[in-house]
Amino acid sequence: MTRRARWLAAGALVLSGCSSGDRKELQEVEYNCPANAVEIAVLQREISRFEADSGIRIKLNPFSGQDKLYAMMAAGKAPDIFYTSSTMRDRLAAEDRILDLRSVSRGDSLPGRLWPHVIENGTSVDGGWYSLGNWEFTCGVYYRKDLFSEAGLSPPDSSWTWDDMVSLARKLTRPPNPDGRGGRYGIFIGSHFVEALELMNGARLPREMLLLKIPAESADLYRRYIALMDEGIMPDLLRMQALGMQPAQLLENGKVAMLVEAVPNQSLIEAMTEPWGVAPLPRFPGKEPAYFRSASGGLSISASTRDPAAAWKALKWIVTQASTYQPTPVLRDIDFAGGWEKRYPQLRGNGFRQVWDLSLKHNGGDPRFFVRFSSWTSGPILERLQPLLDQVWARKKPVDSLLAAVPAINSEVRRELAVMAGTTTLKPEFREKIEQALKEMHDNSAL
Amino acid sequence: MRPDGRSQFPLLAGISLRYVGTYAALMLLGSLFLIPFLWMLSVSLQDAQSMFAQPFRWIPDRPRWENYAAALSAVPFGRYLFNTTVITASVLGLTLFSCTLVAYGFSRLRFPGRDILFAVCIATMMLPGQVTMIPLYVAYARLGWVDTYLPLIVPSLFGSPFYIFLLRQFFLTIPREYDEAALLDGAGRLRIYWSIVLPLARPALATVTLFCFIGTWNDFFGPLIYLNSPEKATLTLGLNMLKSQVIGSGSVQWHILMAASVLVMLPNILVFFIAQKQFIRGIQIGGLRG
Repeated sequence: MTRRARWLAAGALVLSGCSSGDRKELQEVEYNCPANAVEIAVLQREISRFEADSGIRIKLNPFSGQDKLYAMMAAGKAPDIFYTSSTMRDRLAAEDRILDLRSVSRGDSLPGRLWPHVIENGTSVDGGWYSLGNWEFTCGVYYRKDLFSEAGLSPPDSSWTWDDMVSLARKLTRPPNPDGRGGRYGIFIGSHFVEALELMNGARLPREMLLLKIPAESADLYRRYIALMDEGIMPDLLRMQALGMQPAQLLENGKVAMLVEAVPNQSLIEAMTEPWGVAPLPRFPGKEPAYFRSASGGLSISASTRDPAAAWKALKWIVTQASTYQPTPVLRDIDFAGGWEKRYPQLRGNGFRQVWDLSLKHNGGDPRFFVRFSSWTSGPILERLQPLLDQVWARKKPVDSLLAAVPAINSEVRRELAVMAGTTTLKPEFREKIEQALKEMHDNSAL
Repeated sequence: MRPDGRSQFPLLAGISLRYVGTYAALMLLGSLFLIPFLWMLSVSLQDAQSMFAQPFRWIPDRPRWENYAAALSAVPFGRYLFNTTVITASVLGLTLFSCTLVAYGFSRLRFPGRDILFAVCIATMMLPGQVTMIPLYVAYARLGWVDTYLPLIVPSLFGSPFYIFLLRQFFLTIPREYDEAALLDGAGRLRIYWSIVLPLARPALATVTLFCFIGTWNDFFGPLIYLNSPEKATLTLGLNMLKSQVIGSGSVQWHILMAASVLVMLPNILVFFIAQKQFIRGIQIGGLRG
């Protein structure tokens, strides 16, 4: 190659980078997929097959974070399909920025194939269906089988209670050697899983609440949780944060004998070499089982999409066909547990299927704070509640201080809601919901 | 120390204890800043679990060089390196061209409103990027520039207030007598800029080059906002793609990520060492100490 030809080739390459990639045809759908190298590579391989079958081209636009999404919306160039968290979804739905999926799925077989709660999770306060999740998980108690055998204990089953768990944790706890090493705690429950246990304790935590409420069952659970640390059968949360260890390592290296974690948890399954099993969360006597299931977000279709039918077809393909999301837990006619057992044979007979099936049978939903409150109030609530909770978990403040803070936090919420109610772009159905909450606050002085 | 107060080691004569103490303290402080880099280097040569080992092992038993191969193959590293190089080289060239010209004007030419214009130019530094992000995005989208390198490259043609300030300060230290002599010899303003001012401003140019190179090479937000297609991504976007490789559990392959981070950092280190001498002179004369 001559020097001139080399320069021309380099120039062409630079120009190709500078040329506009915006060559949208009618049947092109832009998908804001997660910025994940593996996922992108798999999707890129499979998209051509979908394109050949459907005549629709899926263009990947991988990024995470809301800054870019809002900039794209402002320019009228939002991706046709993008991820929305449950808090963000409401706001976008209220401002008419995302499509009601009922309008594009009419006559389609997919809604009938979904678990009913999947549609419920994507439904906003106006009754519209705005997002379709492609992933869900529950949680359970992972335990080391060898440590149970060593202590002469039977592993937990679905009938075990909180008191059984505490009793087992006491028996499995070992004090450290004089050099400070070799100790073991009976259990570890990350604070983000406390709310799953609130459900088991009978707390009713409806989704899309606008006001902060801490039921008596939640407060009771908080006290029980702190008692685990007080008794020394669960490691101190501050110490755990300082150590920076991943939960799977705690179980793998025997620092804890039981661990509450997501089910399924790919990194835990891949990291564990010691024999392990998983049990459902412990029950509370006299309380109906209500197992945690999370679907904190999903895929939404932009209201600015040029071809809603094509966007729906692409969304359907992403959720039900793209191998990176298969087997998907959102379809009723798919053996999700079987699919995972096929991928990881160690899951067979170790309790995974039982935990999964129980969570479907007694679905308690996702009670976590960041999905519990609507987008209009999640900010003022979480900004004030989370620091308080952190202090309670660190045992620097009593649980009662949380209860005492509720009216003050809700007064901030009132301010935020009043601002939102004055927004002219709000859909009437959403405005009514806000006004209803403001009235409730006015009528109920405890809030 | 001898009774007459002189050191018994002639080579150490004149080196006071205070001098040694100062340097020891500076070295200690400097080494503190090295710790994150050494940690990154160490993790890049270990396995996935060892990062969380207690206590942390700084020197691995067997360095895992294969982490670097894994980092190179986990994302299209070569493509991203090329993209980043194209953007950085273009930005660097255009920045040096535009900023030196503007700084030359502010330091050498007399015209009405010069100082006000300079103040306005400096004032634009006060505008946070978040404020201008959406209007700029909308403007570039209307121009059809989104998902191209143009929004990342073209603005550098209009100068950067920080570099303009830095260069102007340096140009002011170059005696005007050189200009006057050149004018007497028949040189024009542009000839003086090109043949006299620029060659004398090498330390300032090295400083601007270094800042600009590091800033553009490590820029994450710009490419994130303006680039959509995965094949146009830069190294920083590539690193971000490596961050989360497991669906659901969100587990991060830290050792691979650290290996990739070391690779991405290497050009920065290289450029710094090449330009170090001029850079330090530049920031001394440019009044940017401290």
